[in-house]
Amino acid sequence: MTILHPALSFTYYIAMILLTCFVRNPVVTLSALVGGLCHWAFFTTAKEKREDLGFYLPLAALVTLANPVFSHNGKTPLFFLNGNAVTKEAFVFGACSAALVVAVLIWSKGYSKTVTSDKFLYLFGSVLPKTALILSVALRYLPMLRTEAHKLKDAQKSVGLYSKGSLTDNFLSSCKIYYALAGRTLENAVGTADSMRGRGWGQRGRVPFARYRFRKRDAVAAVPLALCLSLVLAAAGSGALTFSFYPGLTLPPLSPLALTGYAAFGLLAMFPTILQTEVDLRWRFLQSRL
Amino acid sequence: MNKRLLLSLVLFLVAIPTAAVLGLTVLKNVRWLVWSLTVAALSVIPFLFTFERRRHTLTRLILIAAMVALSVGGRILFYAMPGFKPITAMVILTAVYFGPEAGYMTGSMAALLSNFYFGQGPWTPFQMAAWGLIGFFAGLLQKRLRKSLPLLAVYGAAVGVLYSLILNFEHTVGVMGAFVPAEYAAVTVASLGFTAIYAVSNVAFLLVLKKPVGKILERVTVKYGLGKTEETET
Repeated sequence: MTILHPALSFTYYIAMILLTCFVRNPVVTLSALVGGLCHWAFFTTAKEKREDLGFYLPLAALVTLANPVFSHNGKTPLFFLNGNAVTKEAFVFGACSAALVVAVLIWSKGYSKTVTSDKFLYLFGSVLPKTALILSVALRYLPMLRTEAHKLKDAQKSVGLYSKGSLTDNFLSSCKIYYALAGRTLENAVGTADSMRGRGWGQRGRVPFARYRFRKRDAVAAVPLALCLSLVLAAAGSGALTFSFYPGLTLPPLSPLALTGYAAFGLLAMFPTILQTEVDLRWRFLQSRL
Repeated sequence: MNKRLLLSLVLFLVAIPTAAVLGLTVLKNVRWLVWSLTVAALSVIPFLFTFERRRHTLTRLILIAAMVALSVGGRILFYAMPGFKPITAMVILTAVYFGPEAGYMTGSMAALLSNFYFGQGPWTPFQMAAWGLIGFFAGLLQKRLRKSLPLLAVYGAAVGVLYSLILNFEHTVGVMGAFVPAEYAAVTVASLGFTAIYAVSNVAFLLVLKKPVGKILERVTVKYGLGKTEETET
């Protein structure tokens, strides 16, 4: 996904996250989860995978089990707990919610990995220039703060003013470094502003530097994405995908529109995987010709 | 000041309730999702565009950026104390010394920026709205909060709880697809520990940082003549 134009990948991820949240139909949720997992398998390392699973699985279990305990809607009781029916419908709803939460987390992670801060700034820099300025200066300040904080901490330690004895000591010592850092950074900020002004910031006729161009491959990717997205929206908007959990589980009738909607959403969810596979294959092919 | 107050009143008393009523009556199935996202968007987008339209000195913009970086970067200093994050306290202090708009920008940008490191998600607009509004209202109460340390501490504790309640709401609606009171209550009870840490850490940070950071912000304001927003520059 990183090879696409930022506007395209931004729209794609936001659309995926919103569709997953809004279309609460088990088929759609499952496609989002499967597509998300395939995508996730590509962009994470083994260590990240372990960490993520260690977070997603307990969360999914919690969400699945919490719903039947709190919600007693539904017509098929499985068993009774403290006189309240634990129903099949509530259980399925819990499982779907769990799948949905994990899918949304995975797609959000894909978004974070792909639409990095530089791309975000590129996208919104022309619409919200002042906001973008604040964000990019703050982004540059963060690593600087880290080094400065270490220097201040070393200095405080060497004069014997930094204490880690108790929680309060630790807190107060850290606060001392923090406000020293604040003083330094704010004075520095005024200097940054002066220097920027000195170099002609805000003069007329300047153009922002952009590293991204809308290329042919972006257009080639945009057409099927837009088509799938409009098909899903048409199907969801007409109610063809509306699933109801209560009182009984009812899948909407499998009309042509609903089937097209499922297929389009499935393609949409698998898009990053298809793209990645295509790129990998082309790379292998190019290597094999050397 | 009056115009700004009017705008915010219109937004809070007219636009957001209208969206809420429309969302609750017209869109049946996904009404809570639409409702909550609309409210979050309405509490972020108009503020950003108003901020863009107003004149700001470059120094002011860079100072806000520095406060954003400080609020987010403060985490590294307090990593040993889980849950103790100076973001809210710094947002409130910025608002108290630089005014409601600067408070709003610092809060919402700090949320956005820290999520670039800790992961963006559907919670981003809610965090931006929550922290932004914490700053905005602190800015509206600027004079009183600057004078009274106890009031500042009360504000810090209150917004710590409020922040938790807003994010629990987002969590409930996100997981259930609707606002289910029982689930909301369960989430609130489960997160009670975090809520307490938010409130306590906000108060602790405000009590310790108010004087030194306040002095720095005041000095910067006086030294570089940044008291007024209305200055002729971009």
